[in-house]
Amino acid sequence: MKVPLHYNLRSLFVRRSSTLLTIFGIGATVAVLAGVLALQQGFATLFTESGREGLVMFLRPGATNEGDSLWQRDRAERLVKTLPEIATDEDGRPLASIECYLAIRRARVAGGETNVPIRGVEPMSKTLHADVVSVDGQWFKPGADEVVVGEKLVGRIQNCRVGDVIQLNITPMRVVGILKSEGPFASEIWGDLDRILEALNRPTPNRVIARLDAGVSWRELDTRQRKDKEVPAKVLSEREYLTGQTAALSIILLSLGGFLALVMGTAAVFTATNTMLSAIAARTYEIGILLATGFRPIPIFFSFLFESLVLGLLGGAVGCLMALPLNGVETGTTNFQTFTEIAFAFRVTPTVLITSVLFSLVLGLLGGAIPAWRAARLTAIEALRRR
Amino acid sequence: MMRLAWRNLRKHPVRALLTIGSMAVAVFLLCTLISLITTLEAGVKQAGTRRLWIQSAVSLFVDLPTSYESKIQAVDGVARVAKWQWFGGYYQERSNFFAQFAVDPAKLFELWPELEIANGTKESFVGRRDTCVIGQGLADEYGWKVGDVIPIIGGLFAKPDESSWDFEVAAVYRSTKATVDDRTLFFHWENFYETMKSITGTPPNVGVFIVERTPEAEPTSIMATIDGMFENGPQRVQTTTEAEFNLQFVSMIGNLPRFIAFIGAGVLIAIVLATVNTMLMAAREQTHEIGILKALGFADRSVFWYFLGQAVLLCAIGGGIGLAIVQVTSPGLAASMASAFPGYKVLASTYATAGLVALAVGLVAGVIPAWQSSHLNSVNALRAEN
Amino acid sequence: MSEPMIDVRAVSKRYKRGGETLTVLDQLDLQIEPGGFYALMGPSGSGKSTLLNLIGGLDHADGGQVIVDGEDVGRLTGSDLSQWRADTIGFVFQGFNLIPVLTAQENIELPLSLAPISRARRRKNAAYALELVGMSDRATHRPQQLSGGQEQRVAIARAIATDPKVILADEPTGDLDRDSADAVLTLMRRLNEEFQKTILMVTHDPLAAARADKIIQLDKGRLQGIQENSA
Ligand SMILES: Nc1ncnc2c1ncn2[C@@H]1O[C@H](COP(=O)(O)OP(=O)(O)OP(=O)(O)O)[C@@H](O)[C@H]1O
Ligand SMILES: [Mg+2]
Repeated sequence: MKVPLHYNLRSLFVRRSSTLLTIFGIGATVAVLAGVLALQQGFATLFTESGREGLVMFLRPGATNEGDSLWQRDRAERLVKTLPEIATDEDGRPLASIECYLAIRRARVAGGETNVPIRGVEPMSKTLHADVVSVDGQWFKPGADEVVVGEKLVGRIQNCRVGDVIQLNITPMRVVGILKSEGPFASEIWGDLDRILEALNRPTPNRVIARLDAGVSWRELDTRQRKDKEVPAKVLSEREYLTGQTAALSIILLSLGGFLALVMGTAAVFTATNTMLSAIAARTYEIGILLATGFRPIPIFFSFLFESLVLGLLGGAVGCLMALPLNGVETGTTNFQTFTEIAFAFRVTPTVLITSVLFSLVLGLLGGAIPAWRAARLTAIEALRRR
Repeated sequence: MMRLAWRNLRKHPVRALLTIGSMAVAVFLLCTLISLITTLEAGVKQAGTRRLWIQSAVSLFVDLPTSYESKIQAVDGVARVAKWQWFGGYYQERSNFFAQFAVDPAKLFELWPELEIANGTKESFVGRRDTCVIGQGLADEYGWKVGDVIPIIGGLFAKPDESSWDFEVAAVYRSTKATVDDRTLFFHWENFYETMKSITGTPPNVGVFIVERTPEAEPTSIMATIDGMFENGPQRVQTTTEAEFNLQFVSMIGNLPRFIAFIGAGVLIAIVLATVNTMLMAAREQTHEIGILKALGFADRSVFWYFLGQAVLLCAIGGGIGLAIVQVTSPGLAASMASAFPGYKVLASTYATAGLVALAVGLVAGVIPAWQSSHLNSVNALRAEN
Repeated sequence: MSEPMIDVRAVSKRYKRGGETLTVLDQLDLQIEPGGFYALMGPSGSGKSTLLNLIGGLDHADGGQVIVDGEDVGRLTGSDLSQWRADTIGFVFQGFNLIPVLTAQENIELPLSLAPISRARRRKNAAYALELVGMSDRATHRPQQLSGGQEQRVAIARAIATDPKVILADEPTGDLDRDSADAVLTLMRRLNEEFQKTILMVTHDPLAAARADKIIQLDKGRLQGIQENSA
């Protein structure tokens, strides 16, 4: 015979102060987990969604990011001119561009310093990145001491409005436009390759980006180019690169999330167990009546487990609701591969919500197991005696 | 009365243990989170006041010309100046991360009196160009001792055939302050300079210059003089105190402290709710007893303290266990987080804070049930079922 | 006639239930002499327990005065009331109301902890009270290890441990068999005769009432009369 479930639901309602406290306790735990996951999702999607499979980049072999990768200028130019796989535009120019990249010190509007990436690009870069980058105002003129700044920098970093001047060592650069992008470019400053290198007093660009002819696999190119005698290079798609950039932080965040889930989850399971134990203690007599009327222990076990699962689920729902306002909240973090600061938003994605709810169910399940087991092991006589 | 509280807690051992357990877990978590922040800030808090750091004003990744050294040395109030270069290599695997610096060997110990030699001698390090000195933490972790040769793969400064830089351990140091962690390898600037020159054909630059000012010199005027000296290039510099220099790395973690505070708040809310829950249950079950106590002549006030006492007792026990767990696990945690949080340490003040938080949770969680029970009508309480 | 130990003057007690008011005690006057042993009888719901609670200061009257040993109970509040109760009143209940987690000895020590006496003294007093009720050999037993009659004797020991002037007993023999009830009643008599305790005992049992000096009859919140026990 099945124990009517509304019996359990009613019990949750009757003991509502206890139920509410447990729900909010589980909720707080779930909210923390969801918050960490939302941070990771926000960071990861920023990088991976803007990365394109069709665009490849060439780095120095052994480099893990643009900052590490230094090219001799002449070798980079040779690569662009000679590599047959690089596609060309209608005028026969190679669809490739040399870029330099450096994290520069900038003062925050709110005070303190941070590292902002500055990128020097050739005219072809604008074409190559056209699908992810647009501009508000003007684009900088080739050969001029002008820059465009990423939209995410505008309110956060000093001297980042159109008309301002950004000092690069001893060269002043005029801000002429705002660069817009969904991806990490929105946290960068862009200018002319030659002018930036000159201003920074650096001879070396950092990477070459290019579009390959249709049907060419970058993986095959990579295998070949690594062994090249003239210009050895590591080749990878932009998406591959950007995904790799998120790996370190993702691992940190996911292990932090896992650690927190484990530790806080333990505490939440304890609370749920407590609540269920007291719920059952208060109903020992009722359980006796159920047993005496012919209910079997197994259905009683499941009915209490169900009660605990409902508790967990409600806690999960509360936790998700608490985490939901985080969605879209802008925050900054450091990309530890390049030591630069990147602005991005928390993203409470379906993955985050589903993981959180599953987590809350696990909490409910674990919290209900022992009490339900106790309830099921009661004998009718024993339970009825405890009045 | 306390005995009664104790007996009642023991009457529901599972519930008491679970509450104590959650409290212990929360205190452990809190201590760990706070320690992450204090560890990061230790370098700033304990920073030397005699040392000034000179770095490129443009970027963390831009080096300074070697020729700056003699110009800086000539500035009034500068007692010594030393070169300092981040090497960024790794041992065998990239994941075996620890810091290596190319330094002026003789000046290292003059500028950092907090470094004490634990094994080997200063002289053998200073005297031979292919040697290095390593921290006790590294020595313990990798089992290195004086005389061993450590092969380091150059990350930023790779040799053309990707072969390793080999450094013989001349000495092992121990650091008495958080300014230098004990997982660092220092080797000769000369070694770095000559090797790089032969690889690239051009002499390498200097990452950072470190100045020791004379005791009477005014730091702000030295900083202004040095910064002014290179105003027109070729590389502008930014001279800061050691605290500010370290702060730039701490601020890189950006919102982490706020983030940790958010997590900490979540933990606390969860734990307060759990304890309130337990205390409400206890209070509900003891309604009848409260009636008896009141009939016997116990004042509302006594009943209030009696319940508050139960909550605080639970939390104090849980907190104590939590602190014990922290004490036992912190060496292990420190070892496992050595690369991300070198010098991870739980401060005495952190223990105190967490302990106080545990008691505060007890108070907060106990107040509502205690107030409720102390205001129970004794006639009704006596009527309540046993 | 000497000053009464308990002086109930025109006391009323009402309960509001939904819209209507239920008058449980109606302008009740009652004097109890010092050193008297009174039984309080009346049908169920007549207000006996309510009266006892008012005298013991567990509840407040809606009108009138309750004066016990010269103290106006209605004027006492908060911790003064509690302290007064601890000093003056000993309660004995039908359901014994011992604290289950404490031993017999500890249950008796509990009210003693309110008095400004040393621990050792507390022990001694509790032991003496236990001896008085003939339960010394059960000092370390928990309530659930005792029979009903034994529990009630421990409860009486607890009530007299602080040496109160007044003992209020609400159906002390209600849950007991004849023999246990007799033992408890004999004990009460002895407390009354040897220690001059003023006792007010609610009971439904005529045999129990017969052991008292006087029997008070209560009905519907009104005093029906007080009769002397001839026997
Ligand atoms: N808290 C309360 N709220 C409402 N009515 C109450 C309350 N307490 C007592 N009463 C009512 O007051 C009346 C007197 O109750 P009381 O307990 O004094 O009766 P009693 O004479 O002791 O009866 P019994 O012999 O059954 O113990 C009853 O009708 C009871 O229902
Ligand atoms: Mg009654």
